[in-house]
Amino acid sequence: MKKIKRRLSLTLRGGRGVDESLSELAESMNIEESNAKDNGWPSRSGKQKGSSKALSKAESAAIVTLQPLMEVEGSLSKKQQLGPNISRMVSFFEGEPKLSKHFIRGKQHYRTMPSLARKSKTEPDFFLNDGASFRTIDKGRRMRKSESDSFFDEGTKASDKLFPIPTIDSNFNLPLWRRLSKGRMKTADFHSSSRLCIVHENARLGSDGESDQTSGTSNDDVHSPVKLRHKYPLQRRLSEDITKRLSLPADIHLPDNFLEKRSLSPPFPEGRLSRRMRRASLHEIGFGKMESYTKLDKLGEGTYATVFKGKSKLTDNLVALKEIRLEHEEGAPCTAIREVSLLKDLKHANIVTLHDIIHTEKSLTLVFEYLEKDLKQYMDDCGNIMSMTNVKLFLYQLLRGLNYCHRRRILHRDLKPQNLLINEKGELKLADFGLARAKSVPTKTYSNEVVTLWYRPPDVLLGSTEYSTPIDMWGVGCIFYEMSAGRPLFPGSTVEDELHLIFKTLGTPAAETWPGAMTNEDFLMYNFPHYEPEPLVNLAPRLEADGQDLASKLLQYEAKWRISAEEAMKHPYFNTLGPRIHKLPDTASIFTLDEIRLAKDPGYKSSSVGSSATMPRVPTSRSAISEPPGMCEEFLP
Amino acid sequence: MAAPMRPKDYHTLMSKTTKTGDPSRRRRSHHGDEELVHFRIVRFMMESGIKLRMTSVPMATAAIIYHRFFSICILQDYDPYLIGMTAISLASKVEEEHLKIRDVINVCYRTRHKDKPPLESQTELADLRQAMASCELLIMRVLGFNVTKELPHKYLLHYLKSLGDWIDASVWDRTPIRDTAWAMLRDLYHGKVCLQHEAQHLAVAVLYFSLLCFGIEVPLNNQAETKWWKVFSEDITEEEIKNIIEQIMDVYDLEQRL
Repeated sequence: MKKIKRRLSLTLRGGRGVDESLSELAESMNIEESNAKDNGWPSRSGKQKGSSKALSKAESAAIVTLQPLMEVEGSLSKKQQLGPNISRMVSFFEGEPKLSKHFIRGKQHYRTMPSLARKSKTEPDFFLNDGASFRTIDKGRRMRKSESDSFFDEGTKASDKLFPIPTIDSNFNLPLWRRLSKGRMKTADFHSSSRLCIVHENARLGSDGESDQTSGTSNDDVHSPVKLRHKYPLQRRLSEDITKRLSLPADIHLPDNFLEKRSLSPPFPEGRLSRRMRRASLHEIGFGKMESYTKLDKLGEGTYATVFKGKSKLTDNLVALKEIRLEHEEGAPCTAIREVSLLKDLKHANIVTLHDIIHTEKSLTLVFEYLEKDLKQYMDDCGNIMSMTNVKLFLYQLLRGLNYCHRRRILHRDLKPQNLLINEKGELKLADFGLARAKSVPTKTYSNEVVTLWYRPPDVLLGSTEYSTPIDMWGVGCIFYEMSAGRPLFPGSTVEDELHLIFKTLGTPAAETWPGAMTNEDFLMYNFPHYEPEPLVNLAPRLEADGQDLASKLLQYEAKWRISAEEAMKHPYFNTLGPRIHKLPDTASIFTLDEIRLAKDPGYKSSSVGSSATMPRVPTSRSAISEPPGMCEEFLP
Repeated sequence: MAAPMRPKDYHTLMSKTTKTGDPSRRRRSHHGDEELVHFRIVRFMMESGIKLRMTSVPMATAAIIYHRFFSICILQDYDPYLIGMTAISLASKVEEEHLKIRDVINVCYRTRHKDKPPLESQTELADLRQAMASCELLIMRVLGFNVTKELPHKYLLHYLKSLGDWIDASVWDRTPIRDTAWAMLRDLYHGKVCLQHEAQHLAVAVLYFSLLCFGIEVPLNNQAETKWWKVFSEDITEEEIKNIIEQIMDVYDLEQRL
């Protein structure tokens, strides 16, 4: 233990400011405290009070032990001697030409990397630890490679996954080198497992439907000690997997040749391969390939992305293709990285679904489900007079999607009608998570320019950079009003103009309506005239009393007084929707309930609509929307 | 879908060595050595991170990205320094603590090549930039675009605060237990242990370990029905804590072997 202590103290010096880290985290405390219960935080009321005191103690203690940065660097550099190990390392780039043996048929395809991801946590890792021998044995054999890789999964190469794995002894989970060193694994075993790798590679199905297994490797006399059981009819299980995963319609059209191919292929092993198998199947079908989609009209263009309407050749469904250009100087745009990593985890009926990701040399294409309109177009199309029933339904769906995000500590940060997509059934979905963030530790100031000016809460307009879920709720209030009244609530063109409009309507903040503003330098500097609040009834006369109440709760100046998405869903305004709506599972649309029906919008003029649908069957081409000044340029399907 | 880059674009500035493609040489690679290499690289990352004034959270994210990458890929196939450097820039994007790629390159280059003059040539910089952009996509693809992971930092802070109220103030103030715990948390990112346990468990184990180091006992713990770690994290067992601690000690052992 002493040893440890001594060494600890060594590294203690090497750290950056403990105090900084602590205080940086301390800022988060207020926000995080509401989540304390989930964190296993003891919720004794007495404890909470003393906590800030304890922290300042921690800070002061930390400062004492800190050493100047320069010294740290010095000590590091002395130790930083590069041993002989380095010389063994092959640069990423130098390693590259070796890949050429994975190129086949002269195609200029690049397999992501030689043995990319042959291992995931649940799998044994002997492939990984014996890359060298694996490769050597590989030599001279023809291997197929995947046309491209599907990105939904952790980089696992599709081609690995179709072949049954051997039955495994108890040592299997150990890395190869360890097993060898323990002497438990005999040479013979070693060879057989190496061979299995090869079979793995070769078991990959060719695109022409033949299995390579029979063609180049038969002289190896490979046999694998595998027992197989078939549980489901192949075809059914496959379609189920796919539809479940990608929320495609149940009647997905799998290409006939694909299904034929499946029946020729080695049968699926059961159990733990299922995930990999599904992945492989998805790729085999055509996910992750640009060839699987036809580009149609261009829908819009932003600073780094262009959105096209497209059609999937696999499902015949329309999709939105968001093409992100990659020649940007700073690498992949940070919004794109965040959008992908967030959307992959969000599965909800009111959040746009990310079907697929396609990677090419010059661009990254995200394939989203296609929805005909955004809320702005919807309102335009019905002459800005929406049925009040639909207002309620849309608002509820918006809150539902948002509540799901907020529960997972994700802020949208850019709510506006252009980012709310609506399909012909009236389902509303949140889109454009480019500015959204996983709300982990609020470590730093978020960039100030995030929410489109019209829907930006006053605290952010006044320079607040520490915000939480209420930042989205103000925007909900604005959108709610806009749907009811048919015009934007605060269409300001500059920050000052925006604030002015807000205060003119809702009254200039006073100590009792917004305590925080009284000390805000920006607010005092602007020196706004005194306005009395206008009653909300005058603003949106069509809105019923419960709705007025909800709107006023959303449009609170003080961020922490704003109603949360979860509470808002329980507001009496939604009582007319019935009790069942609160019990729906996340992935079910509210229109699965019989009592929920879209109404006809009074302002909507159309002759081509049948039944109760309020929108044309044929999707209109979504020409780029004229964005008001100050709007974020970014545009999503 | 073709490669994100072509061989001619590649640059080997981050690597001091020339090509060692000889398979027999590669095979000699040893698991223990690999851990050492990772340790060294993470230290290089941490050093660069300090110079770049990164905070603990993006630093931890960078280390996690790095470790995850090499738990999927083979070390010998990539230049770990490049991966480490790219992980730093990727983490800064993920955690929204923006760093300019140029700064990252310059700082990392200086950290890596202490004996060489700073990077001056624009073409070299451009090459490295290009390499990093490609590498960034590669990493994201390898990680399946899943670049966020819950970190133990916030938990540790919560735990420290509540435990500080519980333990006698004189003892608490006399010992640098907070700094120890925090430093230990930072250090454990040198090893793969950071990937193998939940954030809450890591935080509890770090706290347990630092209490142990200073011989502090949580008051009344031996009489308590629910041990203090159970209060913080319901699903943790003492064996698990000890298991994590052993792994943390392994990381410190690595340092000695360097």
